[in-house]
Amino acid sequence: MKWLAVLGVVVVALLTWGFWWVEPAVKQPIEYPHKIHVEQLKLPCTSCHQRVEKEAVAGRPPTALCLACHSGGETESNEVKKIRAFGEKGQEIPWKRVWRLPPHVFFPHRTHVVVAKLNCQTCHGAMETLDRPPARALKTLTMNDCIGCHEQWEGPKEKGTGVVKVAARRVSTDCNACHR
Amino acid sequence: MALWGMVIDLDRCTGCQACVMACKAENNVPAVGAKEAVRGRIISWMQVLTEEDEEHPGEVKRFLPRPCLQCDDPPCTKVCPVYATYRDPDGIVAQIYARCIGCRFCMAACPYNAKYFNWYRYQKEAPGQNPDVSVRPKGVVEKCTFCHHRLQKARERALAERREVAPGEYVPACAEACPARAIIFGDLSDPGSEVFRLARSPRAFRLLEQLGTKPKVIYLTEGEGRG
Repeated sequence: MKWLAVLGVVVVALLTWGFWWVEPAVKQPIEYPHKIHVEQLKLPCTSCHQRVEKEAVAGRPPTALCLACHSGGETESNEVKKIRAFGEKGQEIPWKRVWRLPPHVFFPHRTHVVVAKLNCQTCHGAMETLDRPPARALKTLTMNDCIGCHEQWEGPKEKGTGVVKVAARRVSTDCNACHR
Repeated sequence: MALWGMVIDLDRCTGCQACVMACKAENNVPAVGAKEAVRGRIISWMQVLTEEDEEHPGEVKRFLPRPCLQCDDPPCTKVCPVYATYRDPDGIVAQIYARCIGCRFCMAACPYNAKYFNWYRYQKEAPGQNPDVSVRPKGVVEKCTFCHHRLQKARERALAERREVAPGEYVPACAEACPARAIIFGDLSDPGSEVFRLARSPRAFRLLEQLGTKPKVIYLTEGEGRG
């Protein structure tokens, strides 16, 4: 009877293989509080994630950018000391990637942020409420999330040049527009 | 909407295979290994077909670079049961790996043998690959996409700068690599483009034209100078 129970557990475990898989928690090198920077200091996301308006990938801030504010004066914070240590050694902070799209998806941040003027929170969730770095992505995105927007998207009301109309046309649900 | 097309001048082609290698590097086309190659499973989106010249046997070889011909009336898309391959609004025959179920109907339908099947997972993601092209998993069909990821990037750039994609901004890797300028790429619907002019040349022909597939890869025959 006991063996039967063990066998049962093994069979169930095998049948549901993969179902119990949870993304491993990401531990960032600096306990960065988004809340202080975004909610209290009113910094826009782009002040640190600078490539978001220039490239396909948003990127994480280089050490020099943190030190632009955090280099001067006395500090009691261990985290700021860590940043300065990275700075003194001339190293980049080894930020770890949390949000990942499958490699077969072409997602340019620039188009979505600059042209479509989407809020970062639309995909990334309420990052401004976090006291410490997220261990996992706040939202699990699926293709339905992409299509849901693309099907009903209307272009920003800019003074109508021809190219903006072209932009609206390019918000397409064509597979080849995003798959690669 | 543009109608992307390619003109390949067989008079200029020297059979150097630069296009083949450029394609493999650009699109993360895997090397399948010797065992698989013996079984006829080599993947080569761009292939230089060779033929012995009938007038000069043993002396002259003829070359014909063959990418996916991006038919305007593609036979492969009609047999796909899951809409994984279809003709996109720009005329490029798309291959959506995430949808493909690996039935290989499209491979059987393609009269040009331009489609390839991943019998195994031939490679993993690794440094040195092109990050703009996804590595294909096991069990899906792949083929030349006219380096369509380059169009995605060019479009993205143009859109951010509030303009149209400029001619010459989007060129596939093979056309870029060809040292003899035998491969010319452009918009077949734009009367000012070089491909538009060359496609109407008296030397122009299409592969297996009689099948009615209307390929958008157009060849120029070898001229008088041959042999």
